[in-house]
Amino acid sequence: MKLRLGSKGENIAGYLFLLPFLIIYSMFMLYPIVRGFVTSFHKVSISMESTFIGLSNYTQMIRDKYFWEALWNTFYFVLISTPTLIIVGLTLALIVNANLKGTTFLRSVYFLPFVLSISVISSIWVFILQPYTGLLNTFLHKMGVVSEIFWLDEPTLAWISILIATVWWTVGFNMVLFLAGLQEIPEDLYEAARIDGAGTWRQLVSITLPSLKNVMLLTVVLQTISSFKLFGQTYLMTKGGPGTSTRTLVQYIYEKGFIERDMGTASAMSYVLFVVTILFAVIQFKFFTNKD
Amino acid sequence: MTNSLRRMSIGRLILYVLGFGLAVIWLAPLVWMIVTAVKPAGSAVTVMSELFKAPFTLDNYKYVLGNASVWSWTLNSSLVALVVTVLTLLINSLAAFALSRIRFVGKQLIFWLVLMGLMVPIEAKIIPLFQIMVDLNLINSYPALILPSLAAPLGVFILKQFYDGIPKDLVEAAKIDGAGLLRIYWSLFLPLSRSSMAALAIFTFVTSWNNYLWPFLAVTEEKMMTLPVGIPTFQSAYTAELIIPMAANVLASLPAILAFILFQKHIIKGITMTGIK
Repeated sequence: MKLRLGSKGENIAGYLFLLPFLIIYSMFMLYPIVRGFVTSFHKVSISMESTFIGLSNYTQMIRDKYFWEALWNTFYFVLISTPTLIIVGLTLALIVNANLKGTTFLRSVYFLPFVLSISVISSIWVFILQPYTGLLNTFLHKMGVVSEIFWLDEPTLAWISILIATVWWTVGFNMVLFLAGLQEIPEDLYEAARIDGAGTWRQLVSITLPSLKNVMLLTVVLQTISSFKLFGQTYLMTKGGPGTSTRTLVQYIYEKGFIERDMGTASAMSYVLFVVTILFAVIQFKFFTNKD
Repeated sequence: MTNSLRRMSIGRLILYVLGFGLAVIWLAPLVWMIVTAVKPAGSAVTVMSELFKAPFTLDNYKYVLGNASVWSWTLNSSLVALVVTVLTLLINSLAAFALSRIRFVGKQLIFWLVLMGLMVPIEAKIIPLFQIMVDLNLINSYPALILPSLAAPLGVFILKQFYDGIPKDLVEAAKIDGAGLLRIYWSLFLPLSRSSMAALAIFTFVTSWNNYLWPFLAVTEEKMMTLPVGIPTFQSAYTAELIIPMAANVLASLPAILAFILFQKHIIKGITMTGIK
C-alpha cells in the first residue's frame, strides 16, 4: 500500500489541496518551533538584533531563582488543580448521567462558564472575592464568619481563589469527557449487578469507575497540560502576586520576553514549557493509539 | 424490596439536592453579573436583598456603548472570529481531503507533522511568533490576530478522521460519473461532513472570540484590540466602580452565550470529538 504511490496527476492534486494549509502551517507552526530553538541560543537586543551566545540563556535560566519559583508555582497549580478538576468533573458527570428531571438544564449550567472569556471570568471573580464588599465575604459573614478574608492578598488564599475560578470556568469540559465515557458503559452490566443485589455505591465502585479508566487517563493528561499552561487567571486576578507567589511559567516567559525584552532567555524558558507539554502529549498520544 | 426502593429514592433525593444546589452556585456569579449591570451607579450590589429590587437602568449599557473603543473591540473580535472560522474550515477541509483520499509522495511525513503540531501549545510559541510578526511588520494588524490561529491543525485531524469513514464505493461511483477530485470534495465530502464541520466551526469561533494571550501580545494600539484584551484595560480605569465593567462583561459574553444556547449540541460534540482544550 505504501509503495503504491499515486500517479503524477494525483501527486500534483494532493499538494494543490494541501497548499494553503502547508503555507500557513510552515510559517506559523513549523518555523516558530525552529526559530524559538535558534533564538534560545542568541542574545536579542531591543532592536531585535541577535548575537550567538551558546548555552548562556540556559545557564542563566538555571541560575535564576525566579525561574525555579515560577516553575514550582506552575507544578503546584498542576498538583492542586488536576485532582480537584477530575473529582468535580466526574461528580458533575455522574449527576448529569443519573436520569434526573432537568438533566439538560443542569448540563448546560455546569458547562456555560466554559464559553466565556478569561477576561470576563477574572473580572467577575475579582469582584466576588473583594474584601468588605465582595459577594463571597458578604455571604460568609451571613454564615457567621466574623473575620474579613483578604482572598487575593495571601499566597495560599490566592491559590485557592485561582483554583475556585478555574474549576468554575473549565470543569464543564471534563464533565463532557466523563459523560461521553459514562454513556459508553453497556446498560446490561448494571442490570446484571442489580440482579446480583449490588447497590448504587457498589455499582459505582465495581462497574462505573473501572469502566472509566481510559477516559480518566485521558482527562488527567489533558488537565495536566492545560493546568501547566496557566496564565490568564493568575495574570488577570493577582498579576502573579502577592509578590511573585502566583507567577506561573507562562507569565514569567511573557515578562522576560516582553517587559524585560530578553527574548533569548524567554525562548529558553519556552523550550522548557515546550518539552514538558510534548512529554505529556506523547503520553496522551500513546494512550490514544493503544486504546483498543 | 421496599427497603432498596426507599434507599434508591433517598439516593436520588441527595442527587437532586446536590445537582440543583451546584447549579445555583454555578449560576450565581453569572446572575450577579447580569443583574449588577442593570443597577444604577452606586447601588449596594452586594446586599442580596437589595440586588433584585428596583430601580433598574440601562444607563450602564448606554455608557459602555457610548465608548468608541468598545465598538472597535466588538468589531475586531467579530471580524477576527468570523475570518478565522471560515478560513479554518476551508483550509483544514482541503488538507484533510488530500490526506484522507489522495495518494501522493510524502503523505505520511505531512500527517506526522500535523500530529506534532497538535501537541504544541501557543504559549510555547509566543516569542518566535512575535519576532516573525515584527519581521513582517504585522504587529497591530488583523493578519497578526488571524494567521497564527489558522496554523492550528486540530480541524485537519478531526475532518480526516471523518473523511476516512466515508465509503469507497461512494467515491468510486462519483468518479465513474466523471467527477474530478475538486468536485468530489465540494459536492460529496463537504455536504456529508456537515455536522462535523458545524462542530468545528462553533468550536473555532468561540475559541477565537475568547482568545486572550496571543491577541494581548500582538496588539498594543487600543483601536486594534479584541474584546478580551480591551475589557481589562477598560476595567482598570474604573477599579472602584464595578457596575460599569459588569455591563461591559455582559456585552462581551453575549455572542458566546448565544452561540452556546443555540449550538450546545455541536459544542459538546466538538469536545467529545477532539478531547483537546
